[in-house]
Amino acid sequence: MILLQSHSRFLLQTLLNRIQNLEKCIELDHHWVEFDDVRYHVQVSMKNPHILLLSLSLPTPPLETVFVGGLPFGAIEAIKAAYGVIVQILDPPRDGFNLTLKLNLSKLPQDEDQRHTLLVKIASVREVVLGAPLRVILKHLASRTVAPDIDQFVALVHRPNESFFLVPQAEKVTVVFPMRFKDSIDTVLATSFLQEFMESRRTAGLSNAPPCLWSKTPPLELKGVTDDELSANAGFVTFVILPRHVEGRKLDRTVWNLSTFHAYVNYHVKCSEGFMHSRMRRRVESLIQALNCAKPDQEKTKKTPQTRSFKRLKQGFLRAGNRMLE
Amino acid sequence: MDPTFRPAVVIDNGTGYTKMGFAGNVEPCFIQPTVVAVNESFLNQSRTSSKSNWSAQYSAGVMADLDFFSGDEALTKSRSSNAYNLTYPIRNGQVYNWDAMERYWQQCIFNYLRCDPEDHYFLLTESPLTAPENREYTGEIMFETFNVPGLYIAVNSVLALAAGYTTSKCEMTGVVVDVGDGATHIVPVADGYVIGSSIKSIPIAGKDVTLFIQQLMRERGEKIPPEDSFEAARKVKEMYCYTCSDVVKEFNKHDKEPGKYIKHWRGIRPKTGAPYSCDIGYERFLGPEVFFSPEIYSSDFTTPLPVVIDKCIQSAPIDTRRALYKNIVLSGGSTMFKDFHRRLQRDLKKIVDARVLASDTRLGGEVKAHPVEVNVVSHPIQRFAVWFGGSVLASTPEFFAACHTKAEYEEYGASICRTNPVFKGMY
Repeated sequence: MILLQSHSRFLLQTLLNRIQNLEKCIELDHHWVEFDDVRYHVQVSMKNPHILLLSLSLPTPPLETVFVGGLPFGAIEAIKAAYGVIVQILDPPRDGFNLTLKLNLSKLPQDEDQRHTLLVKIASVREVVLGAPLRVILKHLASRTVAPDIDQFVALVHRPNESFFLVPQAEKVTVVFPMRFKDSIDTVLATSFLQEFMESRRTAGLSNAPPCLWSKTPPLELKGVTDDELSANAGFVTFVILPRHVEGRKLDRTVWNLSTFHAYVNYHVKCSEGFMHSRMRRRVESLIQALNCAKPDQEKTKKTPQTRSFKRLKQGFLRAGNRMLE
Repeated sequence: MDPTFRPAVVIDNGTGYTKMGFAGNVEPCFIQPTVVAVNESFLNQSRTSSKSNWSAQYSAGVMADLDFFSGDEALTKSRSSNAYNLTYPIRNGQVYNWDAMERYWQQCIFNYLRCDPEDHYFLLTESPLTAPENREYTGEIMFETFNVPGLYIAVNSVLALAAGYTTSKCEMTGVVVDVGDGATHIVPVADGYVIGSSIKSIPIAGKDVTLFIQQLMRERGEKIPPEDSFEAARKVKEMYCYTCSDVVKEFNKHDKEPGKYIKHWRGIRPKTGAPYSCDIGYERFLGPEVFFSPEIYSSDFTTPLPVVIDKCIQSAPIDTRRALYKNIVLSGGSTMFKDFHRRLQRDLKKIVDARVLASDTRLGGEVKAHPVEVNVVSHPIQRFAVWFGGSVLASTPEFFAACHTKAEYEEYGASICRTNPVFKGMY
């Protein structure tokens, strides 16, 4: 797995399970947490087995981001556009959550493929809600305009109390991620990973990818943002998104990859740590092997008789003993 | 935000299946086979090839660490392509291949649960006979690779007992009969502490039942393709096997009404995709019978499970024995056979009654012993009882205080995971 998938695996599994035995009345009450502190809660009651309540809680937004009624701007419209009639937004949402959706499973389309696509879409509710503002801006980019009433830069939440920045222009959108890591080893690995990221962008095969830049200090586009929001121990990554990156079906992928960029880097930092560990293990094993080869009395140990079990041995002895008595 | 406000991640790694999910739920999110499929073609290539195609080697090396699959995906991948080799990281309840285990955990966390390991406390399980070094190794991987804020390594039998704790009564004394896929342990627990010296383990587990069924079907000459026969035997075991009360009677029943008892199995040949079918007869009850009369399966080990349980309780401290007989808890997938608990209870009761009778006659009727209550507890969540116990335990506020934290690890090193407090009882 190189990229994180946009749908929640467990949510999709639950939905598919429900669809398959819709007649069976099952009480369902499950909650779980995903990366970047997105919480889910799913509830089905015995009375209405075809109604599924899905609640979503988003990471705590920092001050500079725009939230309307607990949701990022444009989220409600995005939900309505994506799901249509089968979803109803409950107001107020469940206690402790930002959004509660009421799904009517009996209204799903009958066609197998269509239904599956819609279920995957529901399972990627996080992309729809959290990526809504990003999608609005990138859509404007696709038509080469700038959304009205937008400041010079826009801050969007992607982790609890952390945000990334967009500088929308008619021809390009600049996206800046301040990268923060808790652990010192992670910071070092992430820094070199991001530098490598920038390097590999220059190879011939990737000439169509968005230009990517890493710097230790905040880029000039972010002049005017307070220092507090710009303290990042692993530097800043800048992507320049051009209209060709958001054409048609590419839009969804771009939105998802940008809004989970930090999680992506984090995943690969952990992977490379794991990889290093396995190499270290292999090295230790080979050293131990070398030590074992150097043991002088190895010849002797090889000659010990190999019996299958102690019990067999014992039985053999007993049999021999009996024969002697006879 | 403090990680203690988020639910802990509970992962129960078994030999056969891994159960994973978040604390506070009644069911695990995923139950997946514990298996990793690794593409090893890169590794062999890099050894033999010359220095000239350095960049190819380099990119192969970069990709190799991510070119693997876990769980069900691994099984399907290995079937469709020859490049992937299956590795089972756990054997007989012990972690055997740490590389594969680390990769498996990585997939559990990032691919299945999709959580950030830095945000959650973790509860992992171990078998009661795990070596301290293995526990240290687990701690090292969890703290070094995944940076977890806190870790608790629980003994799976104690968790199985804790699962019964909520469904029936408040009892932390009992014998846990844990029959998994790769290991069978009988673990006496008194007031939440494991009586380490009385733990018994037998070399017959779920996998042996599968092998026995495979052998029976092969000997009868059922036409099952050899490459699929183990998987087919496993499915047959999971779907059709049951425990009988008397083997001879059961044979007669099958012979009288074969139409009622003989089932059919339909499968698909993995290579050609052609369907095949076969009959399932005596193996339906002979499979689980290996626990009660092991001599039909192997000549190395011939002590039936009820006798081992009885020996285990007899070796426990005398003041705990009655309580132990009263609460015998089943856990693990291989105790799911129909009527398994009835048979176990009956056989065990027979042994205990015979002993009580013998002592009564020896004493000549002057002193009468209180009858010993034997009770085998079975509950519907047996398959993931250990996980459920972990979920209950990890949702209590005391859990976070009992965990080893990252700060402790950084101060003292992996040795903090070396000992498990449940073994520090008075026994």
